[in-house]
Amino acid sequence: MNGTAAIDVSHLPNLVSGGRAPLWWAMVLLLAIEGTVFATLVVSYFYLRMVAPAWPPPGVEPPELLLPTINTIVLLASSVPMYIADRGITKGRSRRLLVGLGIAVALAIVFLVLKVVEYSGVSYRWDDHAYGSIVWTIIGFHSAHVMSLVLKSLVVGTLAWRGYFDGRRHLGVQINGLYWHFVVAVWVPLYAVLYWAPRLLD
Amino acid sequence: MNRSDRSRTARVHGAAAAPARLLLLALAVWSAGCSGIQSAVNPYGPQAERIAWLWWLFFSVCTAVLLAVTAAVLLAAFRPGRRHVESVPPEGEPRKQRIVIAATILTVLILVMFFAADLRVGTRMTAAPAAEARPVAVEVVGHQWWWEIQYLDSSPDRSFRTANELRIPVGRPVVIQTTSRDVIHSFWVPNLHGKIDLIPGRVNTIWLQADRPGVFRGQCAEFCGLQHAKMAFTVVAVPDAEFERWLQAARRPAPPPRTPEARRGEQVFLQAQCSMCHTIRGTGAWGRVAPDLTRLAERRTIAAGTLPNTRGHLAGWILDPQQVKPGNFMPPTSLDPDSLHALLAYLETLQ
Amino acid sequence: MDQGPDLRRAAADEHLELERTWSSPCGLIGWFSHVNHRSIGRRFIVTAFVFFLLGGIQALLMRLQLASPESGLIDPDTYRQLFTMHGTTMMFFFAVPVMEGFAMYLVPLMIGSRDMAFPRMNAFGYYVYLIAGVVLYGAFFLGMAPDAGWFAYVPLAGKTFEPGLRMDFWATMVTFIEVSALVAAVELIVTILKQRAVGMTFTRMPLFVWAVLVMAFMILFAMPPLMIGSVMLALDRTVGTHFFNPAAGGDVVLWQHVFWFFGHPEVYIIFIPALGMVSSIVITFARRPIFGYKALVLSLVATGFIGFGLWVHHMFATGLPYLGMSFFTAASMLIAIPSGVQIFCWIATLWDGRLVFRTPLLFVLGFLVIFVAGGVTGVMIASVPFDLQVHDTFFIVAHFHYVLIGGAVFPLFGGVYYWFPKITGRMLSERLGQWNFWTMAVGFNVTFFPMHQLGLEGMPRRVYTYVDGLGWDNLNLLATVGALILTLSVLIFLVNVAISLRSGAEASADPWAADSLEWATGSPPPSYNFHPLPVVRGRYPRWEKAEGPPVVVIGLRGDRREVLVTQTMEATPDYRSVLPGPSFAPLWLALAATVAFLGVVYDVRLVPVGGLLSFAALAWWHWPREHERTPPWKAGTAS
Repeated sequence: MNGTAAIDVSHLPNLVSGGRAPLWWAMVLLLAIEGTVFATLVVSYFYLRMVAPAWPPPGVEPPELLLPTINTIVLLASSVPMYIADRGITKGRSRRLLVGLGIAVALAIVFLVLKVVEYSGVSYRWDDHAYGSIVWTIIGFHSAHVMSLVLKSLVVGTLAWRGYFDGRRHLGVQINGLYWHFVVAVWVPLYAVLYWAPRLLD
Repeated sequence: MNRSDRSRTARVHGAAAAPARLLLLALAVWSAGCSGIQSAVNPYGPQAERIAWLWWLFFSVCTAVLLAVTAAVLLAAFRPGRRHVESVPPEGEPRKQRIVIAATILTVLILVMFFAADLRVGTRMTAAPAAEARPVAVEVVGHQWWWEIQYLDSSPDRSFRTANELRIPVGRPVVIQTTSRDVIHSFWVPNLHGKIDLIPGRVNTIWLQADRPGVFRGQCAEFCGLQHAKMAFTVVAVPDAEFERWLQAARRPAPPPRTPEARRGEQVFLQAQCSMCHTIRGTGAWGRVAPDLTRLAERRTIAAGTLPNTRGHLAGWILDPQQVKPGNFMPPTSLDPDSLHALLAYLETLQ
Repeated sequence: MDQGPDLRRAAADEHLELERTWSSPCGLIGWFSHVNHRSIGRRFIVTAFVFFLLGGIQALLMRLQLASPESGLIDPDTYRQLFTMHGTTMMFFFAVPVMEGFAMYLVPLMIGSRDMAFPRMNAFGYYVYLIAGVVLYGAFFLGMAPDAGWFAYVPLAGKTFEPGLRMDFWATMVTFIEVSALVAAVELIVTILKQRAVGMTFTRMPLFVWAVLVMAFMILFAMPPLMIGSVMLALDRTVGTHFFNPAAGGDVVLWQHVFWFFGHPEVYIIFIPALGMVSSIVITFARRPIFGYKALVLSLVATGFIGFGLWVHHMFATGLPYLGMSFFTAASMLIAIPSGVQIFCWIATLWDGRLVFRTPLLFVLGFLVIFVAGGVTGVMIASVPFDLQVHDTFFIVAHFHYVLIGGAVFPLFGGVYYWFPKITGRMLSERLGQWNFWTMAVGFNVTFFPMHQLGLEGMPRRVYTYVDGLGWDNLNLLATVGALILTLSVLIFLVNVAISLRSGAEASADPWAADSLEWATGSPPPSYNFHPLPVVRGRYPRWEKAEGPPVVVIGLRGDRREVLVTQTMEATPDYRSVLPGPSFAPLWLALAATVAFLGVVYDVRLVPVGGLLSFAALAWWHWPREHERTPPWKAGTAS
């Protein structure tokens, strides 16, 4: 090309991982959206609490602590194998990936089962009063997210089992991990609000 | 002045006359609103006056700002003798920067002035009236599509209900507690004050006052369903002594009808479906889902400000309310002409 | 002037190969698999204008009904559906999507890239938008249109007072279209952050791209609260929750907080991209660089932030404590400052420009005056006492039409006239354009200026009629006459588009002698946008003389869709992203999601069914494509 200087980019890689990849940023932005969703739910919880004469309403005990706390530890624990799986595959350890994913998914399923047990025993429904509505909705939203974690990780796990990921190609695992850690981390303030706020803020 | 000067002057005057006449005509059309009975720029009491003052301040300053900006835009577009700047010099355009900064500072100053004026008016507006002013206590409850009004008294047996027309004394504040039985409505009588929303599950309080006698129209100002457009009310401001007399009279139940036709009319009222929804104090009719009719005959309008309160309109309304306010909750009533006339005769006694 | 990269110099067969790789399939079936940003962007724009016409017809019908008191033209039930559909259509189905459409079309071109970051997600966003609109209008034509106003206040919008399906359609389709906007926002942000041309640092980015970036971030944080709100409304209506039921601990005003926390940023989401269009047009038609680039960028960002702090000014009549409301008064007045700064900068740019008085510039001049008129009434209604008089009256209707039509629609029309040659390859008729502008400017003011007076004289909004004798008759008639003039203006526009598409003057690559990169390629651009890719060395790459010969980027493969990803801050080449070609996966996912959303309206059991279908569609979407199954280093080909 006469009179034109050229920058040749043909040597640049096609696959990157982490913050260099647009898809990673898309996941971060999705987490911003989800974070705003949960923040709205929490704010609505406190708003309804503020306008209520009694919270929980008369006849409703504050939620039990033991089972949900155990459950919270289970969910927090699930981040560990997920983290190990993520680190493992960046070094090409695909077995670590599979085992880590499997354990994390198992822990998430335990969380969901315990949640079902907890809420089949609760004395109120979502259509009894506003307190019931917001509590069931928050639990429902978060549990739906945990369910989607499980489904998503099953897809990632299937691909991992077929040898799709290795030391260079593992963006899908990292993104799955981001989403996983977010859903786990967002449970902490939700847990504090649902189970501790009625006790502490009176 | 020589002849050509005079004719030029005449031409200039002639050319200016047409737009001047147009302007006067426009002013006449626009200023018609300044004498309206549902107008925020025709204040009859302190609250509306304060707000009108604020409006005129905003209006004059903002008009000046808009004219200045428009002039600047037109100049920027059409001014002759400009030097085209093709590329920005390395030192920038410092003179323009100073002008833009000055304009921004001026904007800030205007906004600060507005905010200060707004706070001044707002704090006075929201300050509760003094007890020495002998406020009248009223409760207004919104329904789809009528206004339940209750005059409160410290002894409950002296409180009474009416509907769709609020009578207030001149020179005394009226403290209005509001709520709604169904959806959100909004109580607004622009000649006297801004509006307040009537929200189910909440009580919102507003106070207003008329400083001169008059009759004003208010209207619901929050969309509340099919007949939101026809949910109006009247406010009648009368001198204090007249108000007190009226209050005494209004507390009393409806007098028993005197003429045979009116007595027959009372029977029609009680035997037709009317008493299922309406109350007339002093009869056996205690329905609470529709307006209280004890003082019906003194009202200037019926159907919440929709029709003038005349025999003909009342007859039409009773026979087929759905024609007037389609979708409202009053069903048609079929009456033979004699019964209808008797009923109307009875209703005319309710004052 | 520096001409930038020269298309003719690259080898002709490279262009042929690129054309094959990047072209979209023809035919009706193939249409559903398009993923190119220009194809999807055009669809957004055209579909949005269809909704604009529908919303306009609804407005015209309302104006005809209000032309005289106690008119029997339209009954109250039809009227409430009309004003609800007019608001919902204009706000959700026209204004935001049309700006998104222009963003999708222009941003990759302006930043010198070949497509957006996630082409299939782009297409998905369109199908969701289209389906939401089709379902809502299907309900409308079946007499089931929502009818509680575009902001659906409870309890009126709840099951007790709206027992049918009308408001269920509203709640679900509004949520559905928000998914579309959120997806577009994520994509625009990532594209702008990661795919700018080499050398295009943030301070060299066109102002339109800045505006789109601010808009996208606003969408990200404003729309989720409304999604939660409409989910709460849908739950209250379908499964009996009590979020908004005061008898069971809920609160009516909670809805208003949640809705307006979204609702106020929404109007800035519409308005800010229009400001970007204004900057583009001012630069080109004043033939000079913009005055105050940094101030304009800061003002856009400031408007975006402050816009989140205003929402309570829609609730001044609800009985909140006065001191708290005053905070929102201050914020609502504060936001006038960055708007003002932008107006001053544009005037300063025009001041010593060499103005080209074509239609785009006329619309910008109209914007400057009309928007400022709307802005000053906005400052007035920031005041609580004054707002208590004019809230929910035609004064407010006047205000928001001045800021939305003046502030967004006028720049939009200017943008259409400006970019029509780039998108279609033909010029719009300048003569018809001038008629379009003048009838719109006159018609708009004749319609909406009298409404200020009507509001002050006590006329509330959303009324299907009014009584005689209040002095409102003449002004209402005048407003209707204005609406007819506006209708004429839109007809002129449609005729202009129709004629020009067929036989308008052919446009060169750069008919306006403009500066930004979209004008450095053909009109319309080839399917691969640029070859070779441009490199930018200044804020005005095609106007400013840079040292040395022009620089271009080569080395992207022509046999598959590759775009250059650059580093976010320094805009240096980072890696080559491989984009998918045409695909039906976005359509499947959109249809699966539709099942779930319609389940909310008709049968709750469809919701998990739709959820599982969506999972399957997503899994299929992300399943590795054929050429991705084996990584390049294992297949032995160069990476």
